[in-house]
Amino acid sequence: MNPIMASAPALFTIRSVDYRAISPVLIILAVALVSVFVEAFVGRSARRPVQLVLVFGAFLATFIDLITLHATRLVTAAGSVAVDGPALVMQGAIILLAALAAMLMAERMVDPSGDPFAARASSLPGSVDEAEFSARGYFQTEVWPLLLFSVAGMMLFVSANDLLLMFVALEVMSLPIYLMAGMARRRRLLSQEASLKYFLLGAFASAFFLYGMALTFGFAGSVNLGSIADAVSAKPSQSGLLLLAVAMLSIGLLFKVAAVPFHQWTPDAYQGAPTAVTALMATTVKIAAFGALMRVLYVAFGGIRWDWTPMLWIVAILTMVVGSVIAVTQSDIKRMLAYSSVAQAGFILVGVIAVSGKGLASVLFYVIAYGFATIGAFAVVSVVRDASGEATHLSKWAGLGKKSPVTGAVLSLLMLSFAGIPLTSGFIGKFAVFSAAIANGATWLVIVAVIASVVSAFFYARVIVLMFFSEPTEATASVVVPSAFTTIVIAAGATVTVVVGIAPQPLLDLVNNAGLFLR
Amino acid sequence: MNAAVQAGNVGETLVFWICAFFSVLGALGLIVSRKAVHSALWMALVMINLAILFVANSAPFLGMAQIVVYTGAVMMLFLFVLMMVGVDSSDSLIETIKGQRVAGILLGIGMGLLLVFGLGSALTNSTSVGLDAANGVDKGNVQGIAHLIFTDYLIPFEVTSALLITAALGAMVLAHRERWIPRLTQMQLSRARFAGSGHPGNLPNPGIYARHNAVDTPALLPDGSTTDLSIPGPLVARGGIRPVDHAEVDEVAAITDGGQS
Repeated sequence: MNPIMASAPALFTIRSVDYRAISPVLIILAVALVSVFVEAFVGRSARRPVQLVLVFGAFLATFIDLITLHATRLVTAAGSVAVDGPALVMQGAIILLAALAAMLMAERMVDPSGDPFAARASSLPGSVDEAEFSARGYFQTEVWPLLLFSVAGMMLFVSANDLLLMFVALEVMSLPIYLMAGMARRRRLLSQEASLKYFLLGAFASAFFLYGMALTFGFAGSVNLGSIADAVSAKPSQSGLLLLAVAMLSIGLLFKVAAVPFHQWTPDAYQGAPTAVTALMATTVKIAAFGALMRVLYVAFGGIRWDWTPMLWIVAILTMVVGSVIAVTQSDIKRMLAYSSVAQAGFILVGVIAVSGKGLASVLFYVIAYGFATIGAFAVVSVVRDASGEATHLSKWAGLGKKSPVTGAVLSLLMLSFAGIPLTSGFIGKFAVFSAAIANGATWLVIVAVIASVVSAFFYARVIVLMFFSEPTEATASVVVPSAFTTIVIAAGATVTVVVGIAPQPLLDLVNNAGLFLR
Repeated sequence: MNAAVQAGNVGETLVFWICAFFSVLGALGLIVSRKAVHSALWMALVMINLAILFVANSAPFLGMAQIVVYTGAVMMLFLFVLMMVGVDSSDSLIETIKGQRVAGILLGIGMGLLLVFGLGSALTNSTSVGLDAANGVDKGNVQGIAHLIFTDYLIPFEVTSALLITAALGAMVLAHRERWIPRLTQMQLSRARFAGSGHPGNLPNPGIYARHNAVDTPALLPDGSTTDLSIPGPLVARGGIRPVDHAEVDEVAAITDGGQS
């Protein structure tokens, strides 16, 4: 594996790295470093505008870079980074959704006290310090470099062709999100609890991933996905080592996609984190996690798919059923969206189980459509407020549609998309995923999925009924007029949902032309 | 280990069983001890034994790094933090979910059995390979690791720096206390003390009463009234002044009188 130079002066051959192909990640990382320096050297009042220019500039530059790279299909850096169709599509989606989440993070009009983040995350909740910092209009601009690092981690996570790089990228992606989840300006104790819970359970899941990586190395003698695939096909006899390794790696990745029974962190983390960060967690992290899960299962362990598909069947069924049924009982809209995201992860897993090019394309389509609808939904949640901040309890949403018809209509549209009603992107996504699964013989699974989506339609419809078919009371929250930032996010979410629902072909072409994972 | 057994290397086998016993013992102690300090010390035991096993398996660099970095630096830092939090703090044993502990123990044992038997059956009769390839080519452990870091694992190694920067930034965000007003200089402080209605001398000590003499009790002035000057500013701001009831003083006097007569 290691070509060692025999000649005396050169101790080792330097592996060639195609910097052009990995430039999207490098841009984000470089701007993240600049952003850290801005925190250190730029005056307090100038920091926010400078950071916003840097962040959105970086996203724009990276997106343009990804477009110019769209035809690139290669594996570089000693086989550790794969720049292939699915990776590029997912990186593009991550950049777009992260830019929308960044707009929610930059919103300062909806909360009368300003920023969505705590004035100082280090001040104790309820202390004199906290009150003084808030009154003096302090806010924390460190979230911007953290956001950039997290996005860089996600982009590497979907194109890592090496378990070691995948693990490092997983941590680079997660650590800033654990931090940002604990920095809400309001209900800070809830936010800190969410952060700690997510961090501890995330560390636990990372340990499983690491153990799985060690066992894989024991089996294959390499952590490179391509070499693992070779070892798997070279030793066809069932090995307990390999099965344990696949199980452990899957646990680590299924935690990140919030599949049952590894979903316990989801409701608390989604509810406690600032809504902008929840939007980031629910969209980009989910895309990145599904990208990595599919790459590991398809590329490295595609040869033993008959061993791991039964396990995924059970996880997918549990995820769909538990997510849908528990969502019905929720009375808080953020918790309901959290369980809804669990249920949606189950539907996406149905596409993963197809183990085919069609399945991969359908999952890409689904996560992108779901990502835009979700970020729109969380943007709507962030503008529905009362005196205590965001009015997340569903009782305060009664009659909201009559009070603010546009907001009510947009949220209804997004809910219909989650439920998979025709003419929305959610319908096309479900159709693509289910037909890919049926083509691969998973008919029974699709039947369970359809039943689960009927159950899930119930709680999505309940929100619509609550908003439009009950009279507003004095407890009904009101819709705050946001700045252009949140308006853009809500508009983007609604537009993508409708346009992709009516004319899905361009996006279908994009995901179908992405092709397969390279190795 | 199997290679060692096949080679008839009794010493290595002995080392393995001794270290395996102590590291499993340490791991069990880590999870069953109630005090965090005990857990930390058990953890150190686990790590030292693992380090010995690494060295015995021809990975001296990893073994030394384990001792210096983990046992030496990380665990001791952890102990320092525990000292600051309070050595006597121990876990609460109240179950928030009924039956949680029993379920946890059963699942843990199940997981342990799965791993022991799964790995045991997979690794029995297998031969170790690759040790010579890993250590032989570069004539040593350190060289071998350096080689891999700068060739095959260049990108992961570089990206780790992003992780470290994030960690440092996160530590700053969560722990760095800023002041909302600039720190006063010595000159300003002494001016403030002597000018106007300042209090030039030492502020009074906390009030000392029969039942309490904590910092939140206001001092008793010679004329029998109380002053809040003895109470630290943050306590005053939080409204943490313990009111002094003169009836209480009288009551104490009455009790003492009763005892004497």
